[in-house]
Amino acid sequence: MAAVAVHKFAQCLTCHAWSPDYSMIALCPSNEEVHIYRLSEGNWDRIHVLQKHDQIVSAIDWSSKSNRIVSVSHDRNSYVWNHEAAEWVPTLVILRLNRAALCVQWSPIENKFAVGSGAKTVCICYYEQENNWWVSKLIRKRHNSSVTSVAWHPNNILLATTSTDGKCRVFSTFIKGVDTRNSGASSSSDSKFGEQIIQLDLSYSWAFGIRWSPSGNTLAYVGHNSMMYFVDDVGPSPLAQSVAFRDLPLRDVLFVSEKMVIGVGFDCIPMVFAADESRLWSFVRFLGQRKATLSSARQGSQISEAFGKLYGQSKHSIANDGIEPSRPRGGIHENCINCIMPLKNRGDSKVTRFSTSGLDGKVVIWDLEGEEDLSEYM
Amino acid sequence: MANTQRLYLTCIRNTLDAAMCLQNFPCQEVERHNKPEVELKTSPELLLNPVLICRNEAEKCLIETSINSLRISLKVKQADELENILTKKFLRFLSMRAEAFQVLRRKPVQGYDISFLITNYHCEEMQKHKLIDFIVQFMEDIDKEISELKLSVNTRGRLVATEFLKQFI
Repeated sequence: MAAVAVHKFAQCLTCHAWSPDYSMIALCPSNEEVHIYRLSEGNWDRIHVLQKHDQIVSAIDWSSKSNRIVSVSHDRNSYVWNHEAAEWVPTLVILRLNRAALCVQWSPIENKFAVGSGAKTVCICYYEQENNWWVSKLIRKRHNSSVTSVAWHPNNILLATTSTDGKCRVFSTFIKGVDTRNSGASSSSDSKFGEQIIQLDLSYSWAFGIRWSPSGNTLAYVGHNSMMYFVDDVGPSPLAQSVAFRDLPLRDVLFVSEKMVIGVGFDCIPMVFAADESRLWSFVRFLGQRKATLSSARQGSQISEAFGKLYGQSKHSIANDGIEPSRPRGGIHENCINCIMPLKNRGDSKVTRFSTSGLDGKVVIWDLEGEEDLSEYM
Repeated sequence: MANTQRLYLTCIRNTLDAAMCLQNFPCQEVERHNKPEVELKTSPELLLNPVLICRNEAEKCLIETSINSLRISLKVKQADELENILTKKFLRFLSMRAEAFQVLRRKPVQGYDISFLITNYHCEEMQKHKLIDFIVQFMEDIDKEISELKLSVNTRGRLVATEFLKQFI
């Protein structure tokens, strides 16, 4: 079993984020509060409740270097929380949004963060010393629908977004006075703020869960039509690849290494995708599926195959029996998984552990260490 | 006959399983609102193609999906006028108690007898497979219920008529 720890925090979780040393977890129990839990002697203790929002908190991100939490909510506001003298002090962010904020992520250097919103805009926020608040610059009129997910390129300049219009876009977010010209050290850092580098029109349905690979060479996102999209060499001549799978759509993805991606979604079981030597991506298997269901499914198919050979028609009758009550899928999560986070020690390039949270209120920590068949992709 | 019913319900079950992938999604048109998009239909990109499953002309099921809500509309078999009036009365009785059922819509979609509205909040509170089981069980039972009602109406009619006609003997 790849899951090493399971804990049910609430009835339902919208998102979670880890403190830099992974001793604390910030999560939203599907309401307007952010709860911070600390692990002490095997128990999770609630040590802080951050109350400032007045509608459901849609996303949280905890910066690993500066130890700040940013939270965004459907009430159109965002706060940056600083840890000062055992208390979390909020700083208002002037988002200038007129619709709900949906997703947030700190940039790699953590001098900026990006907020995707239902107002079809992306806000790039940075700190203004003289006024002591976070201000935002908006990327307007580029998206035709809500922005569902944002992801920063490791160079701190490029930002990839997905939207419910099915498109994936990459923008330059160079802000004068915040970024320096050579920080990206590539041609992309020459472009102005808000310039669209590329627009990918691969999905016919809503797109979610975008991530860059650790090196920033590959971009992965999912479509609601049960497809996963991989884009290599983002730039003037990108190489796109679509991977279709037969299960329910995914909500979020995570790059474990350059060659392996974990996808989570409505199937309640993490799915592993991997690339071979020729950079061809494919679905490998589910993670942490119960052995019993696996073997029974295999047995079932073998038997039905045998019967099918014997009687020719019996496969039909087996298919007809689908009316009996459907069973929950044999995973650890009992409802849609909507958030996946890496658990990575600083300086360690490999991600072997990650955590998932879902609508069933559980946070599950997974470890890939014991999975021999996946080690070649790590 | 029972076999086609089974196929029909299996088809609906599988379609619902695929369609019930809902998430919390705030309204794009109105500030600080969160409404079922399948009812508002203000943003066409947030709606999926509706699926119509027909067993025959009289019995069909329309499944409309959006990003945060799902609407299932049923047309129940009505062979004659008596069944027609029974279905109408019975489903009206249920619709008026929609709060007790949570997922029942107060008014059926035009052209259908009864509608369910499932939002992301229902999926968060309840287990998805149980919700689907409820819908399918409901469809199974409604036919039984109507034919039972019809039988009892007929029996009662016969009894009343016999009693009434006794006085002329």
